[in-house]
Amino acid sequence: MTTIGFLARRVLAALALVFVATSGALLLAQLAPGDYASQFGRDQAQVAAERHRLGLDLPVAQQYARWLKRSLTLDLGESFQYQRPVTALVAERAWNTALLAATSLAVATLLGIPWGIVTGSRRGVLIRALRGVSLLFLSIPPLISSLTMLAVAARTGWLPVSGMGGVSHLVVPTLALALPIAAILERLQAQSIGDALATPMALSARARGISRRRIVWRHAWRQSLGPILAIYGVIVGTLFSGSFAVEIVTSWPGLGDLMRQALLTRDTYLVAGCAAAGAAFLAAGVLLGDVLHAVVDPRVGGA
Amino acid sequence: MREVREVRGVRAPLLVFAALALLVIAAPGLAPYAPGRQFDGYPYAPPMRPHVIDAAGAWHLPFAHPISLADPIERRYVEDRRARITFASREPWFLLGSDALGRDVLSRVLTGARLSLGLALLSAALALAIGAAIGAVAGYAGGWTDTWLMRIADLALVLPVIYAVLALRGALPLVLTTVQVFTAFVAVFALVGWPSAARGVRGIVVVEGRSGYAEAARALGASPARIIARHLLPATRGFLAVQATMLVPAFIMAEATLSFVGLGFAPPTPSWGVMLTDAASIRTTADTPWLLAPAGAIVLTVLVIHSVAHGRDPLLDS
Amino acid sequence: MARYLRFHILLLAIAAASACHRSAPGAASPAGGPARGGSLTASLRSEPPTFNRFAPTAAQAPVDAVARLTQATLVRVNRLTGDPEPWLAERWTTSADGRTLTFTLRDGVAFSDGVPFTSEDVLFSFRALYDPSVGSVLASGVMVQGKPLQIAAPDARTVVVTLPAPFAPGAALLDNVPIYPKHLLQAALDAHTFAAAWGVTTPPATMAGLGPFVVSEYVPGQRLTLARNPHYWRRDAAGVALPYLDRIVVEFVKGQDAEMLRLEAGSIDLMTQADVAPENISSLRRLRDRGALQIAEPGVSVDPILLWFNLTAAAAAKNAQARPYLQRTEFRQAISYAIDRDAIVNTLYLGAAVPVYGPVTPGNRTWYADSAPKYPHDPARAAALLAGLGLTDRNGDGALEDAAGRPVRFSILTQGNHIRGRTAAMVQEQLRTAGIAVDLVELDPPSLFGRFGSGDYDAICYGLQTSAFDPALNLDFWLSSGSNHVWNPEQKTPATPWERAIDDLMQKQAAAPALAERQRLFAEVQRLFGENLPGIYLVSPKVTIAMSRRVGGAVPVLLDPKILWQADSLYAK
Repeated sequence: MTTIGFLARRVLAALALVFVATSGALLLAQLAPGDYASQFGRDQAQVAAERHRLGLDLPVAQQYARWLKRSLTLDLGESFQYQRPVTALVAERAWNTALLAATSLAVATLLGIPWGIVTGSRRGVLIRALRGVSLLFLSIPPLISSLTMLAVAARTGWLPVSGMGGVSHLVVPTLALALPIAAILERLQAQSIGDALATPMALSARARGISRRRIVWRHAWRQSLGPILAIYGVIVGTLFSGSFAVEIVTSWPGLGDLMRQALLTRDTYLVAGCAAAGAAFLAAGVLLGDVLHAVVDPRVGGA
Repeated sequence: MREVREVRGVRAPLLVFAALALLVIAAPGLAPYAPGRQFDGYPYAPPMRPHVIDAAGAWHLPFAHPISLADPIERRYVEDRRARITFASREPWFLLGSDALGRDVLSRVLTGARLSLGLALLSAALALAIGAAIGAVAGYAGGWTDTWLMRIADLALVLPVIYAVLALRGALPLVLTTVQVFTAFVAVFALVGWPSAARGVRGIVVVEGRSGYAEAARALGASPARIIARHLLPATRGFLAVQATMLVPAFIMAEATLSFVGLGFAPPTPSWGVMLTDAASIRTTADTPWLLAPAGAIVLTVLVIHSVAHGRDPLLDS
Repeated sequence: MARYLRFHILLLAIAAASACHRSAPGAASPAGGPARGGSLTASLRSEPPTFNRFAPTAAQAPVDAVARLTQATLVRVNRLTGDPEPWLAERWTTSADGRTLTFTLRDGVAFSDGVPFTSEDVLFSFRALYDPSVGSVLASGVMVQGKPLQIAAPDARTVVVTLPAPFAPGAALLDNVPIYPKHLLQAALDAHTFAAAWGVTTPPATMAGLGPFVVSEYVPGQRLTLARNPHYWRRDAAGVALPYLDRIVVEFVKGQDAEMLRLEAGSIDLMTQADVAPENISSLRRLRDRGALQIAEPGVSVDPILLWFNLTAAAAAKNAQARPYLQRTEFRQAISYAIDRDAIVNTLYLGAAVPVYGPVTPGNRTWYADSAPKYPHDPARAAALLAGLGLTDRNGDGALEDAAGRPVRFSILTQGNHIRGRTAAMVQEQLRTAGIAVDLVELDPPSLFGRFGSGDYDAICYGLQTSAFDPALNLDFWLSSGSNHVWNPEQKTPATPWERAIDDLMQKQAAAPALAERQRLFAEVQRLFGENLPGIYLVSPKVTIAMSRRVGGAVPVLLDPKILWQADSLYAK
């Protein structure tokens, strides 16, 4: 299979995923009780008028057909609450989320992978402490960790507590998002390197007198990356939905925040638009994971 | 050497796990008060220390000094050092403090354990089983099967789960029994949890499938099911253990998120997730840290799961 | 056209710059009193989806907050006294029959783009308000007996408003109608695109208003910056042109916790939805004692929490067989007696609330009638009332059963993760001890409204926002035909004798000219309400408002927007 053919197929698959996910979100939205118009208050005449204006009184199939027709021209409809095109809203927020996600991913990877290689291949008091810390990061809900960090930032005045701005604004949300992921990567990496060191090849190398350190850093780590890269894409894809709590607490104007708002107000087309962005993120993440996987371990094909 | 270590290590966590399981089953019996009971005039009461020696120096069975609210807005309590109370007294004894409604946190953590842990463990087990099965099939079969299964996994990952839950909630009757809620949760969580497990398992199976012994087994005429079960899945055990460690706390918290869109255990049934989300305010962590008790319980749970899943004791052996 | 516009912006910039320049030397006022210049930062929990107050949107609060800063009305209701006071209209007269109000507009007032304000703009704004193609949610609130007001403009400075029927609040109605510039929006109204005009992405230079501030920059998801309107018409007592502030920055901060953190850290000066939760009061007081914050306590909130039963005909038919008691007045009275409101106040609100028994709270000083029936905690009377309905503990299990042995049970819908939900949880536990089983169902607001709209519920525990002190401005709640008559909305004819009586009293009350007479009639309404108890009112919080010490000139009030209602007189210390 040629690289170009592989990429072309993946891009097509990604587009299909985006489309199906978006449609799915739209149809699910119709099944949920209450709609955007029902929040107009208790005046049923007004609610009915609004429902009509927004086209929410049409049968589901017809609403979907309308949306489908427009989506062919990349028009994903208009958000009910923001009264603006969904594509514009999602685009401006997606950039913010991408920025946050990319920084967090970089921090998590640069922290988690070496951390896991160390904790997976060595033993001792310090290592035990390091493993304990990662377990702690893993089990503390992000809502609480980000609030705590924010509190520290607010009390000490070291870091800004709100919104977007310079690099310093990135610190709190990035850490809140990155630390649990770093912990996940540490877990996976430690497990994986442990397995790699237990393979017959590594054991025989050890028997031949090659130092443990040399085995780890020359051979085993490369082999051990496989399982991590396999779900690396998933981690990337869920970064944006996982950033709900963090984005809201730190007032980061990203997609997670937008999607939550859309969900709670039944802003149907906006939910669909956010789902589209989420699917695109996921597809990109999976592709990234596969490409890295293929680079590190050429035996693996992509799916 | 490795085998010796596992045999030695496996016992301690199993014991801990057994103790925890027992605790969970017995928890409602251990709770000093009914989880929904509200003590009027005791909002945010601090934990009350047990004593055995009174002010006069005499020994007693464990007791506490009763407290009363001196300043409601400041949530300041004063202790009456002359009086003694036990769990049978009229005044409450909050070993782990009380919440905003004057309910005993300890009783709620203990009673909530059954639902929260049961739900998270069952859902995680189901999600991992489905994920492992699908991932293994995809990785072993390759080709179109692989492509399609992974596409479905991706789709399951990106669908807005909350909407699925809202839709489900709309279809269900207004008042739900605990069993209905439990079943709905397990179904939703299994749906959410399997894709990442499937992706990981697939990745490992693809690599392992090309290793020598799987090829050898195939050459010897072993059936695909046998190769998967005997040779490929064992290689994913470590990965699945890590996944379990991740999924359980995530599910415990997700239960709280979903309960705010109406799919939750009917109040006042306690659950750790809802307790924590209720407490998740910055002033709470600073002024009333005991409300974070469920977080402690979650950390403990994760520690135990981790050690059981790995067959090692995390504290004795890294 | 474009050149003209650019020229205009240039003029504006010069005007703004010179205004700043002039103010700079005099900024340091001796006694720490009001000084021109500086800026304050306010938080807002949700983003305004539009800058057009007439646009149909469910997000009323943020749109209103911004409109009050950037637009002005003919008459302003003083949020402190509840009385209408001259605003864009410098005075008005009322005809003998109370139906015709003649307003004289202030002279020399101009929009922020320098174009003079005339009665044409008033006519235009009312036309837009009532235009069906706009579909404004405000329209139904600016009607008398369901009919729109008639507006005429005999000359450029006179506006004559004719009410369809005598209406006591009269001019106060106009507090809800911001005056928009005809010269900028006429085309949109003619093209039936008014509802979409002035969205948040509209270039600020193409908008103009009569309010103290103008939109200067909008960053989606982050902040809205408002700058001084150089043409604003008000001056303070010393003749200084208002507003004092050069800028108000509105930060969008979601979640009360995040908002409180920012207030404590000093990155915001005030909260637009300003009240503070009871458990936050103590730490704010500590900050006040250190001089970092100021706290105001304007009184008891006018937004109490209530529990209402579904009294619609459909519910009555559904419950006729198994649970007829759900429609009975005695049942509601029993529930009211069984609820220990003091326990809710002392536990949940840490004492920062008062028990209430009806929709009008003591915070509404002009209209609260202390003579209305009260239901102090009285388990014995509750039990007696329930026994009168045949609901007693027949099998000794501590819970009540009806004659057929079925347990007494109903469900309460409420909002999860909110003090309303926690209040409902306390009610649930209190009713359990009274032998009544309650299924508490926590829903998100849209689902809750959906169930409410379809009438698919037993009871709801929620809060109803009051936007005005005067009961005649809340007829939607009191009249049986009203959509806010929540227990049985939009009735064709009154379903019960007491609802008919309240309808009559309220109609009389709304038309009566003398305050004393209106108060007497309204006290009678409150008595009838309290006796028949269609809504069981529980508690109303004592409002606490916190601001940074930089905020000067604030007069915090009970009605929204609690601080920003007189934004033009705020200054930075």
